[in-house]
Parts: sequence; structure tokens; C-alpha cells
Amino acid sequence: MHDSLLDPTLDPTLDNACSTLTKMLKRLRSTCGRTVLTGLLWTLSVTHAASEDLTNPPAIATDTAAQATVQATVQTQAHALIDQMEALYRGKTSRARILMKINTPQYQREMSLSASSQGVDDFFIRILSPRREAGITTLKLDNEMWNYFPKIDKIIKVPPSMMMGSWMGSDFTNDDLVKETTLSEDYQLSLVETPEQYVITLLPRTQTVTIWGKIEYVIDKRHLVPITQHFFDDRGELVRTLNFSHLKDYNGHLRPSQLEMKALNKPGHSTRVIYESLEFNPDDLSTDVFTLRNLRRRQQE
Amino acid sequence: MLLVKLAFRNIQRQRRRTLLTLLSMSGGYALSCLSLSLAEGSYKNIIALFTTDHTGHLQVHLDDYLQRPKVYKGLTDSVETRQLITSLPWVRAVAPRVFAPVLAYAGNQHTPAQLIGVDPVLERQATRLADKVQQGQYFDSEPSPDNRQPAMLGLRIAQSLNITVGDDVILISQGADGSVANDIYRVDALVGTRDSWDSRNVYLPMEAAQEFLAMSGRVHEYAVMLHDIDQVSRVAATLQQRLTTLTIDTWMQVEPTFYSSMETDKRGNRVSLLIILFIVFIGVLNTVLMSVMERTNEFGVLRAIGSRPTKIFQLIVIETLMLALISIFIGAIVVAPLIAWFTLQGYPLPDPIDIGGIKFKHMLGDFSAYVFVAPMIIILTFALLVSIPPGIRAARITPTRAMSNL
Repeated sequence: MHDSLLDPTLDPTLDNACSTLTKMLKRLRSTCGRTVLTGLLWTLSVTHAASEDLTNPPAIATDTAAQATVQATVQTQAHALIDQMEALYRGKTSRARILMKINTPQYQREMSLSASSQGVDDFFIRILSPRREAGITTLKLDNEMWNYFPKIDKIIKVPPSMMMGSWMGSDFTNDDLVKETTLSEDYQLSLVETPEQYVITLLPRTQTVTIWGKIEYVIDKRHLVPITQHFFDDRGELVRTLNFSHLKDYNGHLRPSQLEMKALNKPGHSTRVIYESLEFNPDDLSTDVFTLRNLRRRQQE
Repeated sequence: MLLVKLAFRNIQRQRRRTLLTLLSMSGGYALSCLSLSLAEGSYKNIIALFTTDHTGHLQVHLDDYLQRPKVYKGLTDSVETRQLITSLPWVRAVAPRVFAPVLAYAGNQHTPAQLIGVDPVLERQATRLADKVQQGQYFDSEPSPDNRQPAMLGLRIAQSLNITVGDDVILISQGADGSVANDIYRVDALVGTRDSWDSRNVYLPMEAAQEFLAMSGRVHEYAVMLHDIDQVSRVAATLQQRLTTLTIDTWMQVEPTFYSSMETDKRGNRVSLLIILFIVFIGVLNTVLMSVMERTNEFGVLRAIGSRPTKIFQLIVIETLMLALISIFIGAIVVAPLIAWFTLQGYPLPDPIDIGGIKFKHMLGDFSAYVFVAPMIIILTFALLVSIPPGIRAARITPTRAMSNL
């Protein structure tokens, strides 16, 4: 609807500015403490937006220059929001204890995992229970992913062809774990604001290959946490929904403690992820954890 | 009785014609019997081979597992269920199985394979799996010293992975509960040839397979072997009544393409035979008509002295049927030893035919009631039909018309 208005490709200079800003942000993120900087930028955009009086369009809205500024600001706002949401459970580093409940019409399964992350590019997951799967580890570095199976002592790299396959039989795909933080780069964003929520619609950029035809991101305005994500295929059909609920305070950080992924193309299939504990920037998390070597180690992180 | 005596005397009047007619009908009969015997024999052979190889005479599954196999569609394996099956007098053996598609790894190689979990003892009783071991030893249920469970590989798997007896093989798959199934096994035996049905299979002892797939206490299938394969449909019906929650599939349903092509072939064979017999009987019709026409005067006289038309009609029919019976008798005597030889020995094929990995060195026949009785019924029916027009013709002869030619 507002695509033409907010399409950054219409004005290349603005688009450049947006992506440069995002890239700068990314670089700064990994060295300075991402959340803080995003929050800062967010505050800046908000105040900027406030000064631009976005909620009540100015009388000179028809002026192209002002329009362009409006566009840019909203774009930045949308990008910032998305980036912030995607990094919600990360920090510079993070460590979490997760309970994953997988539900299908044929079986129910519960897995207990420990997950550690470094920036937005690296993470390490270790399955703690059940006994059958205990010791299976997953490592992601940038866009590559490996699984280790202790029973057969084998490290298997996940090839691109298996990226859309499910992770450990859940409704989350390997790709969900690998690619999720490039949403703001691969998609163009449009933002709709309501008194309670931000609704950001992500459509793939023209030059990019993406898995989803459309993503709808609903963010709670007050707490700045996601509420729902709707994933559509290129035919516009709703394929799956991710719901965030049960806000909990993790050492001063307010986060939804429960994520539920419902696959609509497979009736009765859903996966629930519960963050039992979440630590940001723990002191005893070394970078050694995010190495192939660590896949084989048996101790806890 | 008088008619029979008359008929018998009549057919001896024209020796040569009678003999030729007999020859053609007995030839037709013998050919039909032989053709049916070879067809039945060959198919029975093939069916016996694949049912004893891996299919079993019938199979028991959960719901539509046969049409849509899924690892989670396992039926609960219980002593009661097994006993319900084995208590039937026709049942010889029952073997439980577990199936899953897996990836087999060894060194740097990997290849897709079909995992089959079998009960070593029961499978040996039911099918010929133990006989197909080419190298190594058929596994038994004893645990190994190094805690690795034994596996038997089909030849193609062993060759793709470049491993042999004594090496380790890794299997990865998805369990019945969605978890990742992975484990290492030791190759204890190689099974079959490159082209046999099992060349892409990996066999594991039942408990190891159930543990691998996280389905302890459940199996995908019971393969049931009977003493007599001809009882299959009846046993299936009885079992279905007893096991109401499960699906019984006969071998015809397990191998539907084979079964339907076999039925089509048999039907085609029968049609060809019918056509041949039809042609034979056109000749017989000609013969009977000729003999009737020749005896027009005779029939005229008979009618003049008071014979009923029905009796004359019956005479012709009995004559023809008698010819048919005698030729069947002659044909049976000639062909029975031949069919017996085919059934017991078989014709050695110069080039063994390979059907589905099973090699045929002999063409076998079948010695059964069907093979002899079916052509007999057809021939008698044709003989009856063919004798009606001339019979009516003879019965309609009026004395005056007949004797006007004297």
C-alpha cells in the first residue's frame, strides 16, 4: 500500500544511506554492545520523527524533499525495530537454558537445550536431554552450520540443500537459526503504526533471493518486544506463525519467555520454545565455545 | 442306452473321418492343458520364490501402512497378537519387521539404504534370508563383546561404501518420535547379489532396530507364512475377523503390479486357447454336418418307421459328445506324462530368465485339477454347441423329402 511512498529504491541516495547506516550499525554492534546502540539510534529516530511530526503529517507533505525525509526516517525506524527484535535474545554474548516442546499428531517430544550466542553471527547449542539425544551439539558461525552426533562421533556440516529441513525434528528450520539476522538486509520494510503496536511488513528486495514471499512482524509498542510473526510463501499463503508470549524479567531485561511456532501447512504441528533462563554477557563464556573443536567436548558451557 | 449303442456304432462307420476328428479334438485338448500347465507352473514358481524370499504369504500392518509407509505407523507387538495369528492351523510362521529409509555412512562415503529390522530366529523360519548370506555369518540374538550390534548389508551398499565383513557402518535416520536416529554397527554378513531384491538393504536385529528408531515394543509388519499358499484368501478373511484393529494384506495386495500383470497374462492366454479351440470346432462342425447330410435317407427311414425327432436330435448330440470324451481321454493320456515331467523336472532354459532378481533356470509346469478339467469343460461345451445345428437339421428331416432322393 505505502510501498511506492517508502520504496527506498526510488531514491538511490537514500537507500545507500540506509544500508550504509545499517552496515555501520552492524560493525559497531559487535564491538560496542548492540542493544545499547540500537536503543540510542531508536531514541534518535523517535525524537527525529517526533520533531518531524510524523503522526500528524505536516502541511508541506506534498513537498518531495519533506516526503523523502519522511521516507528515510520511517525506513530507518523500521530497520532499527527489526534489527532490535532480531537481536533481542542476544547481547554481546548470551547464554540461555531452553526447553523445546515439539508437538505433532503422531508424537510429542521435549528437549532441554543450553544455547550460547556471540554477537548475532555465532551460536552454539547443546542438547541436554532426553538421554537419547543428549550430547548432540550444533554450531553456527556466520552462514555455516554444523551438527555433531556423539554416538557416532561425527561432525556433519549442514549443506545449503538441507537448510529448509527442520532442526532436530522441530518446526524451526536450520535456516531459521542460520539466516535470521539478515532480515533488514534482504527485505524492504514498510511500517504501520497503531496505538499499541508496530506492524512491519517485509517484502523481499527485488534483487534478492529469499525464502519467504512476505513476513508480517507485529511488535508491542510499550515493551518493544515482538508479539507475532507471520510467514507467507511467494503465493501469499500463510505458511507458519510465530507467537511470543509470557513476558518475563531476565535480570532487568524484559523478554517473552515463550515462543510458539505453528506450521499451518502441517495441521497439528507446533513447537514451543521456553526460555527457562537467559543471561546477557555472562562473565564465564569464552570464545572457545564457538569453535568446531567445542562440538566434540562433553562438558557444559 | 439304445441311443448310446447306436451312437457308438455310428461313429465307427466312417473310421477315417472319426479318427481325424478325434485327433483334432484331442490335439486341441492336449495343447490347452499343456499351455495352462506351463503358465500356472511358471507363475506359481515366481510367487513361491518371492513369498519365501521376503514378502510372506500375507502381511499384517497398521491402517494404511502398506500404501503410505511412515516410521511412526507402528503396531504394538504383543504376545497376544502373535498368538492370535499362530494359533490358526494354516499358519506356518510369523516374522515381525521394522522398516525405515536411512543414510549409511562409512569413511567418507555415504549412500541411501533401506533399513529392515528382523527377528533373527523368526525370520529364519519364515523366509530364506539366512540362506542368502554370501559372506560372513547370519546374525543371531547374542550381544557382541564390543557392545556393537551386528548388521547385514546388501551387496550394493557394501560396494558403495567400500566395506566388508568386520567393518563398521554408521546409520542415520529419523526416529518414530521425530528425533535424530544415529548409531554405529558392525558388519557381520553380506547378503544377496548385486541384482537381488536385498542389494540395497541393511538388516539389523529387531531390538537394535527398534532402539535406533525409538520404537521399542512396536513393529511395522508381521509377515505370515502358510503351509499352503492357496489358502491365502481364506486365512486373510479369518485373520481380519480376529484382528479388527489391524489391516491384513495378502501377497496380491503387497505386489499388486505383479498380480495384475499376471492375471492379464493368464487371461490373454485363455483367450488364445479359446480361439484355437473355436477353430478346431469349426472343423468338427463341418464333420458332423457332413455325416448328417450323408445319412439323410437313413433318418428319413427312421422317421418313417416311427422314430421321434427328439430321439434323432439326441442321437447326433450323443455321437458328438462321445467323440469329444474319447478325444479328451486320448489327449489326457498323451499329455499327462509330459505335464508331470514339466512339474517335477522342468525344461532347462538355455538362458536363465531374471525376474525381479530371482533367476529361473527351469520352466516349470503345474499338475492340478484346473489344468485338466478346465479344457475338458470347454471342449464338452463346444462339442455340445456344435452338435445342435446338425442335430436340429437331422430332426427336421421329413420322410417324404428324404426318400425322394432314394
